Amino acid sequence: MAPILVAKNLSKSYQMGEIRVDALKDVDFEIYKGEFIVILGPSGSGKSTLLNMIGGMDQVSAGELYYKGNPLHTADLKKLTLFRRHTVGFVFQFYNLMPNLNTYENISLATEIAEDPLSIETVLEEVGLSDRAQHFPSQLSGGQQQRVALARAIAKNPDILLCDEPTGALDFQTSIQVLKLLKRFCENYEKTVIIITHNAGIAKMAHRVFYIKDGQLTHIDHNENPVPPEAVSW
Amino acid sequence: MLRKKVIRDLKENKGAYIACITVIVLGLIIFTSFSMVIDNLHLAQTRFYNQQNFADGFAEIQAIPYSEMDHLKKLKGIDNLQGRLVKDVKLVLKDQDKNIYLRLISIDPTQENNINEMVLSQGIPLDRQEMNIWVDNKFFETHQLKLAQEIEIIASGKKKNLRIVGMGKSPEYIYALRTANDLFPTPETFGIAWMPLERMKTLLGTGETVNNIVFTLKPNTDYKDVEELLIPELKPYGLKNIFARKDQTSHLILTQEIQGLEAMARSVPLLFLAVAGMILYIMLKRMVQQQRGQIGILKAFGYTRREIRRHYLSYALIIGTIGGVIGGLLGIWLSFPFTTLYQIYFNMPGLNSQFSLKYFVMGILLSLVFAIFAGYQGCKKALTLQPAEAMRPPAPHRGKKIILEKVSFFWQMLTVQGKMAIRNMTRNPGRSLFILLGIAFTFSLLALPWSMKDLSQQIIFDQFEKIETYDVKVALSHPLPQKKVIWELNHFPGMKRVETRADIPVTLKHNWYKKDVVLIGLPQNSHLYNILDETGHKMAPPKNGILISGRLAKLLNMEVGHSITVESLMMKDPETTSKVTVVGIIPQYLGLNAYMEIEALNTLLGQKNITTSIMLRMNESDIPALQKAYNQSSAIDAIDHQASMLAQIKELMASTSATIYIMLLFGIITGFTVVYNSAIITLSERNRELASMMVMGMTPAEVLSVITFEQWFIGFFAMILGIPLTQLMLIGMAQSVSNDVYSMPTEMTAMSLLYAFLLTSGSIWLAQKIAAKKIKKLDLVEVLKSKE
Repeated sequence: MAPILVAKNLSKSYQMGEIRVDALKDVDFEIYKGEFIVILGPSGSGKSTLLNMIGGMDQVSAGELYYKGNPLHTADLKKLTLFRRHTVGFVFQFYNLMPNLNTYENISLATEIAEDPLSIETVLEEVGLSDRAQHFPSQLSGGQQQRVALARAIAKNPDILLCDEPTGALDFQTSIQVLKLLKRFCENYEKTVIIITHNAGIAKMAHRVFYIKDGQLTHIDHNENPVPPEAVSW
Repeated sequence: MLRKKVIRDLKENKGAYIACITVIVLGLIIFTSFSMVIDNLHLAQTRFYNQQNFADGFAEIQAIPYSEMDHLKKLKGIDNLQGRLVKDVKLVLKDQDKNIYLRLISIDPTQENNINEMVLSQGIPLDRQEMNIWVDNKFFETHQLKLAQEIEIIASGKKKNLRIVGMGKSPEYIYALRTANDLFPTPETFGIAWMPLERMKTLLGTGETVNNIVFTLKPNTDYKDVEELLIPELKPYGLKNIFARKDQTSHLILTQEIQGLEAMARSVPLLFLAVAGMILYIMLKRMVQQQRGQIGILKAFGYTRREIRRHYLSYALIIGTIGGVIGGLLGIWLSFPFTTLYQIYFNMPGLNSQFSLKYFVMGILLSLVFAIFAGYQGCKKALTLQPAEAMRPPAPHRGKKIILEKVSFFWQMLTVQGKMAIRNMTRNPGRSLFILLGIAFTFSLLALPWSMKDLSQQIIFDQFEKIETYDVKVALSHPLPQKKVIWELNHFPGMKRVETRADIPVTLKHNWYKKDVVLIGLPQNSHLYNILDETGHKMAPPKNGILISGRLAKLLNMEVGHSITVESLMMKDPETTSKVTVVGIIPQYLGLNAYMEIEALNTLLGQKNITTSIMLRMNESDIPALQKAYNQSSAIDAIDHQASMLAQIKELMASTSATIYIMLLFGIITGFTVVYNSAIITLSERNRELASMMVMGMTPAEVLSVITFEQWFIGFFAMILGIPLTQLMLIGMAQSVSNDVYSMPTEMTAMSLLYAFLLTSGSIWLAQKIAAKKIKKLDLVEVLKSKE
C-alpha cells in the first residue's frame, strides 16, 4: 500500500531576531491510510512544528513533504488553504469553538466548505450530542465542547485528523470518551488519525509512535497490539 | 518601565492609533484654521471700520440741497453726517466689448474726518479743481491701470476724461457688488471711483444738490431713533431708501460670512472629535480587556489604582497631544492660504494671518479633553477589579439567540458566516452603534458638500436659463413711459421681443414685521421673466394681489391670504400706503423679491405705465450694436448681457469647488478610519475564531466575510440613516449661509446621495482590503494553542 504522507529530510527553521532556531531537522517518515499515530515528545521538542507542517499550517523550510504524491513543500498559501479545506481536520487542546454559533451551526461552518461532508446529524449521534444541537458553547461542559470540536473536524470527512493534545484540558474519564471517538473514526471510516501529546499513556493505543526530541525524529515504535482506549491509563 | 510598555503597545497597533490621530487632526484643522480666519476677518473689519469712520446709516435721496447737511447734522443722536453724490457711469475702455460701470462717489476735500474714507495705498490727494479720481484697488489691478492715466467715461450723455491720481480701499466696498442681485464682486465690469464734490457736481450737472447721505451715530444711540428723525426731514427731497449699517450689502455679506464660519468652527470639529473619542474609547476598552492579566499582576505587585489609571490614561494623553499639536500646527499653517483666499473676496487692508498661540493651546486642550474623557471611560472598568479576579480570564462570552432569528426566511438565507456576523452585532451593541454613527456621519460629510455644490449650480443656472430668460436687460436711470420705450427698442435690428418691467423699492409691512425689498412688476404674459412655483410650473404675475418669495414670507411671518402693507417712495403720494393680499408664495433662491402684474403695480403706485428696465430677446450678434447705440444715453444706467454674466459666474464657481473637494477628502478619511479601526479591533478580539476558520481551510476572504458582512450590514442601515442626517445638516447649513442675496434650498440632490453612497462604500471597501492583510498575517498555531 502506498503511503498517503511522505516526508524526506523535512526541516523547519525560524528566524528569531538575530538567532536562527531549527525547530525540525531532517525528519523522514511515511504515514499510511487508516493508521492511528501518536507523536510523543517533551515541550519544545518540535512536535507542534511537525503537526503544523503535516497540517499545511506553515510552509516547509527545507526537505520534501508529499500528500498522495503531491508536493506540499512547494505549495503556496493558496494551495495550503485548499489542502486544509479538503484533506485535514484539526482538534486542539482548547476547543476553539465559535461562541456565538450553536453546536449544529459550529459543525455546519465546516461542512459548508467541505467537498464530501458527513451528515451533521450522523456526526452528532456519533459524538453523542444529538440532544445538544441547539446549545451554544457556553452552555456545554469542557468534554462536550471538545466533542463538538471533534464532530466539527470529522464532519468535513477529512483523510487526516490532526489532534494537538486533544485531552490536555479534560479529566481522565472525559479523555477516554474522546479517545474512543477518535479510534472509532479511524477504524469505521478508515481515516488517518495523528495525535501529538506528551502523555505517554495514550501511545499504547497507537499503531505507531513517533518520538521527537530536539527537533529530530529519534525513533519510531511499531505497536503490534494496540490496546483499546478503555485500557489506556495515566 | 510602564512608559516603555505604553510606547510598545502604541507601536503594536500603530495603524489604528494613527487613524484615530488623523480624525483628531482633521477636527482641529477645521477648528484652528476657521477660528483664526474668523479672528483675522473680525480684526481687519473692526480696525478698518474704526480707522475709516464707517457709517452707521445710509440714505438715498432724489436730490437734496447740500446746505441742508448742516441742519441734519444737528439732529439728536447724529455724530457726523455728510452729503455725497453717488452715480454709476459707463466707462469707455479700448478693446473691451463688455459694459463696464464705475460708481462715482463724491468726496468733499474741505471736510475733515470724512465718513467711509478711503485708504489710499498709492497716489496723491485729490485736487478739488481737477477732474481727478481715486479708484478702488481691485478695479485698478484688474484693468492694469496706471497712476496719471486718463480714463474716458460717459456721464449725462457726454464723454469726459478723468485722471487717476490714486488707488485704495473703502470700508463701504469690502465686498463690492453693483446691485444687490449680483453674487460676486466683478472688478472686470464694476469699479468704484472717488472724485472731488465740486467737480462731480459740474460733471453731472446736479447744481448744489446731493443724492446720498451717510451718517455716524453718537455712542449709545439707537439707529431706529435717528431714522425716525431723518425720514420726515428727507421725504420732501425724494427719499428713496434709508438703512442701517447692518443692511449695507458689503457689511451684511461680510458679517454673514463670519457668522457662517463661526457656526462651522463651533460644530464640525466637535463631530470629528466625537468620532475620534469613540475610536479611542473602543481601542482602550479592548486593550484593557486584553491586558486584564497584566493589570492583575500590576495590582498584585502593589501598583495603586491611581498609578494604573495614570498608565492607561497616558495612552489617551499621548494620542490627544499628538493629534492636538499636529492638528493645531496644520490648522495654523492652513489659516494662511485660507486668509489669502478671503483676501480675494473681501477687499480690506490688514487681512493677514499670524501664528496664534491662543488657538494652538485651545486646540490641544480641546483634543485632550475629548481624549482623556474617552480614555477614562474606556479603562475605568479595569481599575475596579481585584488583583486575583483580574488575573483570571474574563467570564466566557455567552452565545445566545437573537430576535432576528425569528424572521426565519431571512435567517435561513444566511450562510453560517452571516449568522455569526449578525449575532456579533448584538454581542457588542456599543461598537455596532459606533460603526453605525461613524458611517452615517461619513455619508453626510460626503453628501452635504456635494448637495451644496449641486444646489448652488442649479440655483444659478435656473435663474439664468429658466427664470430670467432674456438676453439683455436695459436698466433705466429714471422711470419712463412703457410705450415709448417699447416702440423705440422694437425697431432695433435683431430684436425679437421687448418686455417692460418695473423694479420698485418698497417697504412691506405685516404686523410688526417689516422688510425693504424690490417689488417687481411684470407683464401678464411675460416670456422673458418666468415666475416658477415649487413644481417648476410657470405662474402669471397677479393682477389682484402679490406673490412673495418663501424667505420673505418667513421674514414677514406671512401666509397666503394675509394682507400686506406696501409703502414706497415711488408712490405718487409717498405719504400713502396700500394694502394687497398675498396670493401665492414662491421659491426664490437668488434675491428677495415680491411680484405683481406691471399695470396693477402702476395702479398701486398711482403712476401711469412706468417702467424702470426693459428685458430684450434679440440676436446675439446684434447685442454689441445695441450697447454701442445706447451706451451714451443718459436715460440708461446699465445694459446687462446675460450670457457674459453667466460665463463670469461659472468661472467664479469653478474656483470655489476646491473647498468642496477638501470636505469630500475629510469625509473619505473619516469613513476609512471608522471602518478600519472597527475591523482591527474585531480582528484582535476574535482572532481565535478567525484562526479556527482559517485552519478549517477557509480562505482569508471567507474568514474576513464574517467581519465584512457585519460592516456592510450596519453600513447599509448607516447610509440610510445618513440621508435624514444630511437633511438636518443641510437645513442647519442653509440657515447659516442664507441671506437676502442668496438663500440655499434644503432639498438633497439624488446625485449627491448617489455619490455619497459610492464614496462611503468605497472607503468601507478600502478599509476592509487593508484590514484583510492583517488576517493573512495571523499566526494560526500561536492563536489556537493559547489558552482562552
